[in-house]
Amino acid sequence: MAMDAVTSETAPPGVGSRQGVMPQRAAAGRVRLADLSAQGEPWLWCLGGALALGIVMILGFLVLVFWNGVVTFWPKPIEVVRLTDDSVIAGLPTRSARFRVGDQVLAALPAEKRAEIAANGGFADRTLYRVGNYDLYGEDFRWAADFEVVDRSRPMDLVLVERLEWGVFVGRIAAFTRGGETVRVDDPTSPALAEAWRTARARWHEIRRIEKGEIGTVNHHLEQERLRLRRALLEHPDGGPAAEAARARFAERESHYQAQYEALAARAQALKAQHEAETVTLIDVNGREKVQPLGTLVRYHAANQLTLLGKLDVYLSRWAEFLTDEPREANTEGGIMPAIFGTVAMTLLLVIAVTPFGVITALYLREYARQGRLVSIVRISVNNLAGVPSIVYGVFGLGFFAYIVGGSIDQLFYPERLPSPTFGTGGLLWASLTLALLTVPVVIVATEEALAAVPRSMREGSLACGASKWQTIRNIVLPRALPGIMTGIILAMARGAGEVAPLMLVGVVKLAPELPIDGFFPFIHLERSFMHLGFHIYDVGFQSRNSEAGKPMVFVTTLLLIALIFAMNLTAIIVRTRLKRKFAGSQF
Amino acid sequence: MSADPAVASAAPPETGRVPRRQNRVTRRSVLIIDRLADWSITVGGLLVIVAVFGIMLFLAQVTVPLFTGAALESERSYPLRTDGRRTLILNVDEYRTIAFALLEDGTVTVAHAPTGTPLAGQKLDLGPSPVSAFGRTIRRDNLLIGFADGTVRFGTVSVTAEIADADRVPEGARQLDERDRTDGRLVYSRIPGNQVRIIGLRLQLDEPVRVTPDGAAIIAADYRVGGTAERPVRSFVTVDANGKVRLSRAESRLNLMTRQMRTTVANAELPALPEGVRAKAVLLTETADTVLVGTEDGTVFRYDSRDFRNPRMVERAAVLSDGEMLTGLYYLVGEQSLVVTGSRGTTDVFFLLERRNARGSDGFELVRAHRLENQGAPIGYVSASPRSKMFVTADASGGVWVRHSTSSRTLLKLQKTVDAASGYSGLVMAPREDGVIALTAQGEATAWWISAPHPETTLATLFGRVWYEGYPEPSFTWQSSSGSDSFEPKLSLVPLIFGTIKATVYALLFAVPIALMAAIYTSEFVHHRVRSVVKPAMEMMASLPSVVLGFIAALILAPIVEDWVSAVLMVFIALPLSLLGAAYAWQFLPRHVALRFGGLPKFALMFVFLLIAFQLCLWTGGLLERLVFAGDIKAWLAGTIGGPMGFTTLLLMPLMLAVVVWMSSRVLSDRLEDAVGATGRLTAGLVALGRWIATLVAALLLALFAASLLTGLGYDPRGGVVGTYVQRNTLVVGFAMGFAVIPIIYTIAEDALNAVPEHLRGASLACGATPWQTATRVILPTATSGVFAAVMIGMGRAVGETMIVVMAAGNTPIMDWNIFNGLRALSANIAVELPEAVRNGTLYRVLFLAALTLFVMTFVVNTLAEVVRQQFRRRAASL
Repeated sequence: MAMDAVTSETAPPGVGSRQGVMPQRAAAGRVRLADLSAQGEPWLWCLGGALALGIVMILGFLVLVFWNGVVTFWPKPIEVVRLTDDSVIAGLPTRSARFRVGDQVLAALPAEKRAEIAANGGFADRTLYRVGNYDLYGEDFRWAADFEVVDRSRPMDLVLVERLEWGVFVGRIAAFTRGGETVRVDDPTSPALAEAWRTARARWHEIRRIEKGEIGTVNHHLEQERLRLRRALLEHPDGGPAAEAARARFAERESHYQAQYEALAARAQALKAQHEAETVTLIDVNGREKVQPLGTLVRYHAANQLTLLGKLDVYLSRWAEFLTDEPREANTEGGIMPAIFGTVAMTLLLVIAVTPFGVITALYLREYARQGRLVSIVRISVNNLAGVPSIVYGVFGLGFFAYIVGGSIDQLFYPERLPSPTFGTGGLLWASLTLALLTVPVVIVATEEALAAVPRSMREGSLACGASKWQTIRNIVLPRALPGIMTGIILAMARGAGEVAPLMLVGVVKLAPELPIDGFFPFIHLERSFMHLGFHIYDVGFQSRNSEAGKPMVFVTTLLLIALIFAMNLTAIIVRTRLKRKFAGSQF
Repeated sequence: MSADPAVASAAPPETGRVPRRQNRVTRRSVLIIDRLADWSITVGGLLVIVAVFGIMLFLAQVTVPLFTGAALESERSYPLRTDGRRTLILNVDEYRTIAFALLEDGTVTVAHAPTGTPLAGQKLDLGPSPVSAFGRTIRRDNLLIGFADGTVRFGTVSVTAEIADADRVPEGARQLDERDRTDGRLVYSRIPGNQVRIIGLRLQLDEPVRVTPDGAAIIAADYRVGGTAERPVRSFVTVDANGKVRLSRAESRLNLMTRQMRTTVANAELPALPEGVRAKAVLLTETADTVLVGTEDGTVFRYDSRDFRNPRMVERAAVLSDGEMLTGLYYLVGEQSLVVTGSRGTTDVFFLLERRNARGSDGFELVRAHRLENQGAPIGYVSASPRSKMFVTADASGGVWVRHSTSSRTLLKLQKTVDAASGYSGLVMAPREDGVIALTAQGEATAWWISAPHPETTLATLFGRVWYEGYPEPSFTWQSSSGSDSFEPKLSLVPLIFGTIKATVYALLFAVPIALMAAIYTSEFVHHRVRSVVKPAMEMMASLPSVVLGFIAALILAPIVEDWVSAVLMVFIALPLSLLGAAYAWQFLPRHVALRFGGLPKFALMFVFLLIAFQLCLWTGGLLERLVFAGDIKAWLAGTIGGPMGFTTLLLMPLMLAVVVWMSSRVLSDRLEDAVGATGRLTAGLVALGRWIATLVAALLLALFAASLLTGLGYDPRGGVVGTYVQRNTLVVGFAMGFAVIPIIYTIAEDALNAVPEHLRGASLACGATPWQTATRVILPTATSGVFAAVMIGMGRAVGETMIVVMAAGNTPIMDWNIFNGLRALSANIAVELPEAVRNGTLYRVLFLAALTLFVMTFVVNTLAEVVRQQFRRRAASL
């Protein structure tokens, strides 16, 4: 096969070669074997198959993530399943799978079921139910094989309750208390229940606002005073009037804040007592009861009587909670607002750091440097910077930024907080600087491309009119290259937002108590550790108590992260194509 | 680029405006700003070089201390008032505050360790009988003193340390150095936080207990304390002047009524040593299950004393070369390493290992694991560190060497002139490994303050085979931490580097063919509209966060693959077969039809056949499992059922196919061509199909033959490229990482192919070459270097990929090529362990070294790729 191809290609046309006479033959519909192998049809199909495989993989991946991410919050019906051993389970059917039935299980089965399984090649189907009620039974999920199911039903009065703790509850709402009296609930959609629940929820939000907001503020001020005293004592180690004054001031302020704190705490306590007093009684399908404060129910709905509109309402409310609330239950429930916030804050900081560095290097390469060995080295460096594994940047960021630079900053400016580090450990600033280093090649390459696309004639025109080199660059070249630079920055953001490995070393945490931006001076706290969408995926998927329970959450987070990154990429691509079109005529 | 007048006129108005005639001198500020920009942009541009080399230098700088061994910080000699009395023990406290020696008459002389200032001593009342032997526990506080009258006494000489406020220091305390003050008896050390640490000595001695019924003197002893603090079990072993070895167990019980300790001693006599040998040293383990007796002629007798009443001798090992006298036996912390010293300066470390045909009757034997540098003179004293495998040895000519067992390294050689006849009389290593104190027979103590932060690491231990405690042979092992105190860290980077390479190789095996073939097809054979959709989509996939891929691979893909292993393996067979079958069928189409549907419809058909292949795999997976894997692939992989024949055949298929294709193209093709001649398209297609099927059959037969040959020779792929199945395995990692790498290789390779000038393509096609011939004979050779660079860059990315391996690879640091087993890559190891590592500790620096290794690996790959690419660009531009 190969020999033929060589002959046909190297021989000059017309000198008796097969190629030379092909046209007539083809016209006559007659071919030789060599003509077929010259077409390389089998190879073409392999090449095409590879491309098709790539596309199928990508599409499959995207559909998987998209579908799972989108349906996660859609309310599912509750099924009550009676099993052959007379036990009853109620839960949300999560997924089905085939499995090979174990020998012991098989032996215990009646003959006709055994025959059925044998006919299936030893396989049977089973369904995974999310049964919830973790506090009662200690498991969130349960497999039910088809051969152990007696019947399935969907009673209308079953309720899915999402709670602050212990995950979901599947069962019925039996009663709730209102002002000391117990009210029986017959219909889970009763307005009285809804009314009581709304009040309880409002109270719970109020408690949280007092505890986190107001008491948090007082604590913050108190901590500031404590640090100020420590600083004063450090500056005057041998006592003296200054130290005494600082002590006196601290004592005065402390009592002031202590009083404030007590007042707030008393208010919160009163509300809490009320919160505890108003309870709801939940009963599961086996009749086991659970009494808990009504305010701890995040959401409840009678899953089997929801209309489409009702489902949509639950769906949207879950998305709203997801996007705006804080995580609960070791991150497997609730929202991911802090992670979104952390990702965005880090990405924006990254842009501030990466832009000047990248643009200046690109300017150097395109406008200033003389082509030669040095530029060659710079290019190799840029490509190495792009090729160095991200984890190495993390190591560098931890060792250099956090420990050495941050450690020195702590020594100089925050001695009162030592030995607990302020900047001397991972944090937002160090994470963004590390990622800036990681993404700078992206900006360099894109900016270079954009600079190259600015026609030389424009530069020459400017210079000929007497502008200096810098004036030309500033007024003529850079404005033209701006869309390209923007492309680079957006691509850098996309790369930075998706990177997780280095962040694990320089400041990402699974649960950050405080956001990096808040209402206390200096408002932006660059030293704080933060949460991140990518790390959230890793954490929930791999570190949580039950990866099955976390999976839906991971899928939604993944969807969000991918959507964010693809949106950024798409913007960059659109900007780039516009730019290309704009300068297409002026290239040559 | 030529100046384009149209664009010039479109330049912004401010440069186009005709200036008013005025001062034509350029403003100073413009010049200054211009110069400034010149300067700062050049500096900024070169900053990239600084960044790359800065990172490398910083990483290297952090790792340098790993290789520096130990350094001597200070040396000071002072007298320790022994006045010619023999020294039993020499000790120093954890904070290097006081050094003290217990002398043969019970006196404890104390000095301030850094300066040598004498402090008030104390005295133990040892009674009339002279001391003839003593032993002490690893923790150094507990002593056993043996006497010439055959009795022993338990005692403790321990340091008390207490933290108190600074105002506890008494008035008039004498300043010793900038840290310490003393009131003559206690030492007050200033510590941060306006506090002091008060260091003192506490002595205690129990009543004598008789061991030898006949009153023979005790000449050697060792002592261990087990049990609980309330009910200690003290085990000790003694050798008396008659050569009798006794194992004794003393149990003390506190009488709650009388608050008195009652001690009862049980003795068991060990089988006697042969006639005429003199016991020199005796050792006991903490659980008292093994007793070692070393004799002067260099033999160690090992007794199994697990049955306390009935101990038996299980091994007699000659541990020194002929003629060398044994001078001591010592355990390192953990009691797994036995240090043997000899009269010619030998220092060897032995492990007790289970061996086939072992010398010992219990299946174990003492094996020399490390032979340390010879010190040249008889070694008199050894002091082991209580926290690691570091120890010091002192010889008779005054040499004091600091050594480490794991790395077999001599960290520091200290020297002091001593009287050759009497030598040293005491040696101690400070508990925190930061100092050594040696005492001469004349009573002069020398304190060397040393720093040896990373004694266990050398290039050899990091990259070579090391014999670790309890291991049957030297090995590459990574195990950085464990629960126990006496743990020996095993820090070989080789398993991690191997893991990285393994993941990279399998990922590239999967990714490179797909990416390159797809790139060629995109650049040469599809409509540009398809290309304009596919290319950006692939580029976008290149920025997909790897954490997402890792999550999908580990939690979604791995369980699916586990359920469908044989179907997944079937893909490698069914996919090419289905595509090629379709291709041969396509050849039957009449020419005008083939041309008409050659574009998108054909591409769509490829998708269809791809999906057909997948469905086929699902159906035939079970068949493959029955045919090749004896019906249960996991059991087959574990090696419990079935023979290797079928799978070996499959493995050999690609090779045999290549052989058959090559042979047939050399021998058969032309003949077949002449035989068939010009014919109808249908016939030609049939012949081609027939030839293909014949090729397959021939290859299969050849592979079967070769496989049966190999199987006959005993070859089994299990244990090689396949083996026991683990859920998080390299196959899954290969898929996921391939997924991450494909877009990168694809994009860059496609760019390179596309950069081949259009006129080459045109010329080739105009000469009558088919697109396929043009692609393989013209385009590919021109773009080879660019394509190579693409593969290298993809490789660089695979080497450094972190999240996928962290999540999907199982993180087991093992070294095998089994595709169904996990691995631990350098990057994953850093990500998992660095957050926990103590700053500037050994693990921290070793992880930096791992990062540096990773950096260097990718640096080489990337630099190579970039150099090749720059060359390619130059060549492509000149074409």
